[in-house]
Amino acid sequence: MTRPDHTGSKDADDPTDDLLRTDGGEHSDPPRGTITLPDEVELPRLLDFYDLQDPEHTRIHEFYDNLRAGSLTTTQCTDCDAIHFPPRVVCPECLSDDLTYTDLPHEGTLTSFTEVRGTAAIGMSDDPPFVVGVVDLGPVRLSARVDDATYDELERGDAVQLKVMDIDGPTEQDRVFYRFEPV
Amino acid sequence: MPHNAAIVGGGLTEWGERDATWKDLAQEAGKATFDDVDGLEPEDVEGLFVGAVQPERFAFQSHVAPMVAELLGIDVNGMLARTELACASGQAALRYAWLAIAAGQLDVALVLGVEKMNIDREHMPEIQSNMTNVLDREFDGVNGLNGPSYFAQYAQRHMDEHGTTQEQLAMVSAKNKSLAAETDFAHYREHVDVDDVLDSYPIAPPLRLLDCSGITDGAAGVLVVSEEKAAELGVETTAYITGSGQSCMASNSVNNIPSMTTWPQAREASQQAYEQAGIEDPLEEIDVAEVHDCFSISEIIEYEQLGFAEEGEGGQFIEDGRSELDGDVAVNPRGGLLGCGHPLGATGVCQALEVYRQFAGDVSSARQVPDDPETGLIHNLSGSASVHSVMTLARDPQ
Repeated sequence: MTRPDHTGSKDADDPTDDLLRTDGGEHSDPPRGTITLPDEVELPRLLDFYDLQDPEHTRIHEFYDNLRAGSLTTTQCTDCDAIHFPPRVVCPECLSDDLTYTDLPHEGTLTSFTEVRGTAAIGMSDDPPFVVGVVDLGPVRLSARVDDATYDELERGDAVQLKVMDIDGPTEQDRVFYRFEPV
Repeated sequence: MPHNAAIVGGGLTEWGERDATWKDLAQEAGKATFDDVDGLEPEDVEGLFVGAVQPERFAFQSHVAPMVAELLGIDVNGMLARTELACASGQAALRYAWLAIAAGQLDVALVLGVEKMNIDREHMPEIQSNMTNVLDREFDGVNGLNGPSYFAQYAQRHMDEHGTTQEQLAMVSAKNKSLAAETDFAHYREHVDVDDVLDSYPIAPPLRLLDCSGITDGAAGVLVVSEEKAAELGVETTAYITGSGQSCMASNSVNNIPSMTTWPQAREASQQAYEQAGIEDPLEEIDVAEVHDCFSISEIIEYEQLGFAEEGEGGQFIEDGRSELDGDVAVNPRGGLLGCGHPLGATGVCQALEVYRQFAGDVSSARQVPDDPETGLIHNLSGSASVHSVMTLARDPQ
């Protein structure tokens, strides 16, 4: 099996050479149409950083349900007691799928942080400057935005506390996410 | 390994903000690669491995390995695949070519890394979205963590816990960006000194703009062949792959990363590669190291974890000049990611090509590692630095 031979060979007797004429002729004025594209599109579903949080879209919806009710939780394995973050549907320590939700502390320690001052991603491009850091909650550590503080006001080791954010748009769902703020 | 595999040449595009598409870049690098190696043509290639991270997002294109085959006229009848391992995708492609040759499945492979990253500047938030989703998008990327803001956490902790200074970070950038000024394809070709770095904008403090690599378009290719094929070709210079290791320690998101100060995965991956290559003292035995300096802090941590410096002493290592061209180990002679830019899928391939060219003496004298280097390594981290990949290279087969 070989590729079709596309090496061009000019042959005076080859009738297909007529098809390759570049001087116009009867092909010079083809009909024209217009393809219309929208000037703007709504935020495409897959460029929304926040997941759809209901049972029809994610099996960790309970994490979001609990957060919506004001509680930061994560999964714990009933077989080996491992605590996970992010929440799971299968325990990575023992592969059990018998997991329950357990409460996490709402106050933790800021172990490192910076301030985003350059351009940020779609959906957060109006937000800079903002602080993002790593929060140690004891059982788990997580990355989080830290509101109501600037880089210069913070120090490693500062105590920070949970703040629940309601997400406005673009879906009909009442979505939430977590941030932290200085205690 | 049952069969030795060697890089016998390669080529690349100009790197930078290119007025060119993904497909244009792949063609340029492919042509440059075949032009560089006498005796190998597209019809000789049995395996094609394409390192590419986000053609789906940056070029709205998937299934890119056969696209490269078509663009370069390669009838692949052995193996082809695109590899994606974020910033280590190019090294992953090299690793698969090496394994396929070692296993006796192929004698000739083309490894091509390509990334088109720049779209018009008004779309910078979209570019940033693409950079942010290499982290766990749902729980880390969502918080606005991207390259600078993620690696800034490591910089802050390394400075606090080990006394690493802002000046030592700047020394890494000044070294690499000044070497890039001598590299004809580099994105950034201006000499930069420590004060220039310290005067640049603190875009994600403690990291400053010149502590960061760039958003770069580019592609690079190498041809990897079996020892038998290399002998048949009679090539003058070879860069044999003598070891290759990787480690991820079951981690990807912030909670599960083994350390937020350093990278034990880099130590593990390098130990694997050193053991395969029979390297006992990397500082003594490695002449040229192309390491993943996506940010200045990265190179400092890598000195420590690749076995060049003691833990916590990476800052002193650069300050003492031990990673300069004429130091104990020449680190990033082409100027690294800081100087050349970082077209994600192309970086690992370009690092290997640089090691090959250093062996061949085929670089400008201003960046040539002295005394005929014969051993090298390439190192890449990827994503949240959860994964580290290390490959050792030597001019002669083991």
